[in-house]
Amino acid sequence: MEKIRFSVSDFIAVTNQTLEYAYPSVEIEGEVASFKVNQDKFVFFDIKDSGGSIGCFMTVWQLRVPIEDGMKVIVTAVPKLTQWGKFSLTVKSVRPSGEGALKKSFEILKAKLDAEGLFAFERKRTLPPVPKHIAVISSVHAAGYADFIKILGDRWGGVKVEVAQVQVQGTDSRDQIIRALEYFNTRDALPEIVVIIRGGGSADDLAGFNDERLVRAIASSRIPTLVGVGHETDESLSDLVADVSAATPSNAAQSIVPDRAEVVRSVRYKIQSVLPRILQVIETQKAIIEERLQYAFLRTEFQYDQTAERFYRLRRVLDQLDPGVVLKRGYALLRGDERVGGEIEIETYKAIIKAKVQKYDAK
Amino acid sequence: MTQSKDKTIQQKISDLDALVAWFDSDEFSLETALDKFKEAEALALAIEKDLAGLKNDIEIVKKKFDSASE
Repeated sequence: MEKIRFSVSDFIAVTNQTLEYAYPSVEIEGEVASFKVNQDKFVFFDIKDSGGSIGCFMTVWQLRVPIEDGMKVIVTAVPKLTQWGKFSLTVKSVRPSGEGALKKSFEILKAKLDAEGLFAFERKRTLPPVPKHIAVISSVHAAGYADFIKILGDRWGGVKVEVAQVQVQGTDSRDQIIRALEYFNTRDALPEIVVIIRGGGSADDLAGFNDERLVRAIASSRIPTLVGVGHETDESLSDLVADVSAATPSNAAQSIVPDRAEVVRSVRYKIQSVLPRILQVIETQKAIIEERLQYAFLRTEFQYDQTAERFYRLRRVLDQLDPGVVLKRGYALLRGDERVGGEIEIETYKAIIKAKVQKYDAK
Repeated sequence: MTQSKDKTIQQKISDLDALVAWFDSDEFSLETALDKFKEAEALALAIEKDLAGLKNDIEIVKKKFDSASE
């Protein structure tokens, strides 16, 4: 077999072509060592396991999650032989691997963003009580999206819902959600709320929602944000930075619109609450009228008693003046000529007697 | 005054609140209470009818977000 002779540069180029053909993109899992950032632009570290170590290079821009020495990561990279003959990986993305590393990365970034005040309560904006126009960023194929739309429709209507179809899982999801956020934030007619939703998943599935650039994009949204990602126990940095965080996509729908059944109950209650008021006024008026009638009756009775009393008093006086009463007591009334020989009439209680005067003595 | 049919549900609910508040106000009089009650009842029915008929308008944005260039 004929030997092929290369120049050094050509051999490096051919090797890189071969590598690129064989491994256009590889994922390698290992532990980070000798992590450093040069000039705030270039990131260097080694990825290693018990059997070996490979040097890695990437830009700060590509580093979307914090990493540090000892952290287990998965790098997506292109293998490359440098012009100095050193084999290295040109890293396109890196993400923590395993629960411990994910948690560690999450805590580092959380502390950093918290120190910047991105999660501060004062930054939180309130959502409009009954929005007419909302934007949704989600995968329309996801169960969480279906839950959200169903509950939104069950609870309320008349809302214009613009949906940006994005991936909600995988490394591309972060940039797609960021682009969708930018899209809605640059619309002429801004939605009143932008909702980012995704159903539950593993910590790795939800890791994209802890991406620093995505978190910052949510923080800088002109439109108030609502994030409903995962299950109730899941907490992402996107949740923390959002104006409102919902435990699940279903809760997100409940946070946005009122429940029409509750509104109907409230409206019926309002009407029913009026009736006792009317009845109370009628009862009060009735009581006032009864009281006045009672007063009028008592006054009439009093006046009657007064009049009757006066009448009886006068009657008694009249009785005293009645000559018949005097006659009844045994007295007699004498009428006629009082002179001797004159005729007189004597009236007693029981009889009228005619008599002649036999003697007359003046007193 | 805007016709009732042109009002939003929120405006109708506000109108209903105002009517209900009248019953607790100093302006309350039994003579007008019946008319006000009928008005409130009609408004409540209109709100229920509006609520039952409301549908959301869902529109999938045509723009693709899988590439920064699009």
